[in-house]
Amino acid sequence: MFAVLVIIFFGSRYLPGDPIALWVGDHPTQEQIDNARQDLGLDQNMFRQFIEYSKKLLAGDMGISLRTHQPVKEELTRRFFATFELVTASIILAIIIGFPLGLYSATQKGKPIDKIIKGFAYLNISFPIFWLGMILQILFFGKLGWFPLQGRLSNYEDGGFETGIITLNSLLSGNWTVLADGLWHLALPSFTMALGVLGIIIRTTRSAMVDTMGEPYFNTFLSFGLSTEKTVYLTGYKNTLVSVTTVVGLSYGLLLGGTFLIESIFDWPGIGNYGVLSILTNDYPSIIGVTLLYASCFVLINFIIDIIYVLIDPRIRK
Amino acid sequence: MEIIKQLLRPKSITSYALFFLVFLLILSIFIPFISPYAEDLQGAVHFEIANQQPSISHWFGTDAAGRDMFTLTIGAAITSLKIALMVVFISVLVGTPFGLIAGTFGGWIDEIIMRVADGFLAFPPLVLPIMITAVLGPSLENVILGIAISWFPWYVRIARAQAVVVKNYDFVLVSKTLGASRLHIIIKHILPNSISPIVIQGSIDAGYAILISAGLSFIGLGAQPPEVEWGLLITQSRVQFLNYWWTITFPGLFIIFTVMCFNIIGDGLRDILNPKIVKD
Repeated sequence: MFAVLVIIFFGSRYLPGDPIALWVGDHPTQEQIDNARQDLGLDQNMFRQFIEYSKKLLAGDMGISLRTHQPVKEELTRRFFATFELVTASIILAIIIGFPLGLYSATQKGKPIDKIIKGFAYLNISFPIFWLGMILQILFFGKLGWFPLQGRLSNYEDGGFETGIITLNSLLSGNWTVLADGLWHLALPSFTMALGVLGIIIRTTRSAMVDTMGEPYFNTFLSFGLSTEKTVYLTGYKNTLVSVTTVVGLSYGLLLGGTFLIESIFDWPGIGNYGVLSILTNDYPSIIGVTLLYASCFVLINFIIDIIYVLIDPRIRK
Repeated sequence: MEIIKQLLRPKSITSYALFFLVFLLILSIFIPFISPYAEDLQGAVHFEIANQQPSISHWFGTDAAGRDMFTLTIGAAITSLKIALMVVFISVLVGTPFGLIAGTFGGWIDEIIMRVADGFLAFPPLVLPIMITAVLGPSLENVILGIAISWFPWYVRIARAQAVVVKNYDFVLVSKTLGASRLHIIIKHILPNSISPIVIQGSIDAGYAILISAGLSFIGLGAQPPEVEWGLLITQSRVQFLNYWWTITFPGLFIIFTVMCFNIIGDGLRDILNPKIVKD
């Protein structure tokens, strides 16, 4: 994590553009500029700035956004749950669709349906997801009018400004109208993101299952008279869980990166959207904050994945 | 030579993929000379024919500035192919030597190189290329650098994994006892035996480089007008794509086909270079 911090901090200081100009706005006086330089600590050398920043970071302070003049930490906290909701919904959707499809494809190995699923998965990994999102918008909003174009809720005042995980909160408080509205808005972006990783989940599940079907124990089951399908769904699928977990962890990382594109298309008020705006305005405290947050999430996810390995495979416990 | 012959064997899917890419490249090179709308590639605008549907005269329709989408989409191919090749070239060139050195020498050199590589791999995919490109400033060259810098650690890992195995082969050990220097061993023995996984990874990565660079152009970090690039073409139609589907559909389809061709070639190479992997 320290290496990550060093890379981002010194990298972001070389951003083109003048942070002071962004901070004071148009037509500043010389006095304003000097004050700003002092306030932002830019009058000190780079190394000192880094020490100062690290100290504050340890105390949980990520500095102040040059663009919005709000503390970065607050901005990120407010947006975090929107992104978390989107990415988690996407990964769940991708697993629910991809895992059974992969297993089914393996049991039908060599048949036309297997070739179709395999072909789809192959095509799927070549999709640019931002393009896919726009095509889905044309289809489901423009032509069919089934889903809303963007945003998290139809009426922001209703549910308060994007606080927390809307679907979960409204479910717990029993507010069904908000829940339905939240899900309705969540459907298109999460489906788009799910499609972005569906291909690799199907491929991994399928190839792990095909490998398992060649194991001697699998043939023993078959020789006892069980059908291939039954053996797969009763016990065989368990052998794919380790590889599927690995690829789910990887997919989660892919999805985090994908938020930069998808959130800006669907105007989703999350971290990715905020990150893009920060990059385009050279708002370096925010850029560092976003990158650190994403890198920490990714490290955390990998840690959770390691724990799941131990839970699903007793052999790893030793 | 044998490998190319294998890739091109008649009626194989890899030969179609290779044919598509070569055809696209040639078409892209010659489109400025054969298209009646060649000046659109230099940023010409004709608002009087804006947003026209696909027709005989405009096969892919026209965009908001009245530019011919067919000319632009084909013309953009060369940009994306250039990105793909440059990204892979740079990542391989930087990553392989470090990986070979780490694997052959071992010890603290290995430790340092691999820890630095791990630092790069701690970022979620796409986040690092975005950050690096943002730092370097938006342009096509910086997108190439940004993606290459975030990917070279993968080649370090692949090359190292090969080197660790190959350095213990008998013929390498013999060469070592006969007094060969480490440099000689790396160049003469370990490098030739490490090349095939790198080539396989490279051809698959070439496709993903196109995907990622299109994404970066989409959020404004990549190609800048009047350059033409698929991601940029899509983002240029962002405000009004809902009413004019053809403005984004065709560049997107070309991204998919091109990336898929690179994937097919990568998989084909894996089957040829690594007979141990039996195709299921």
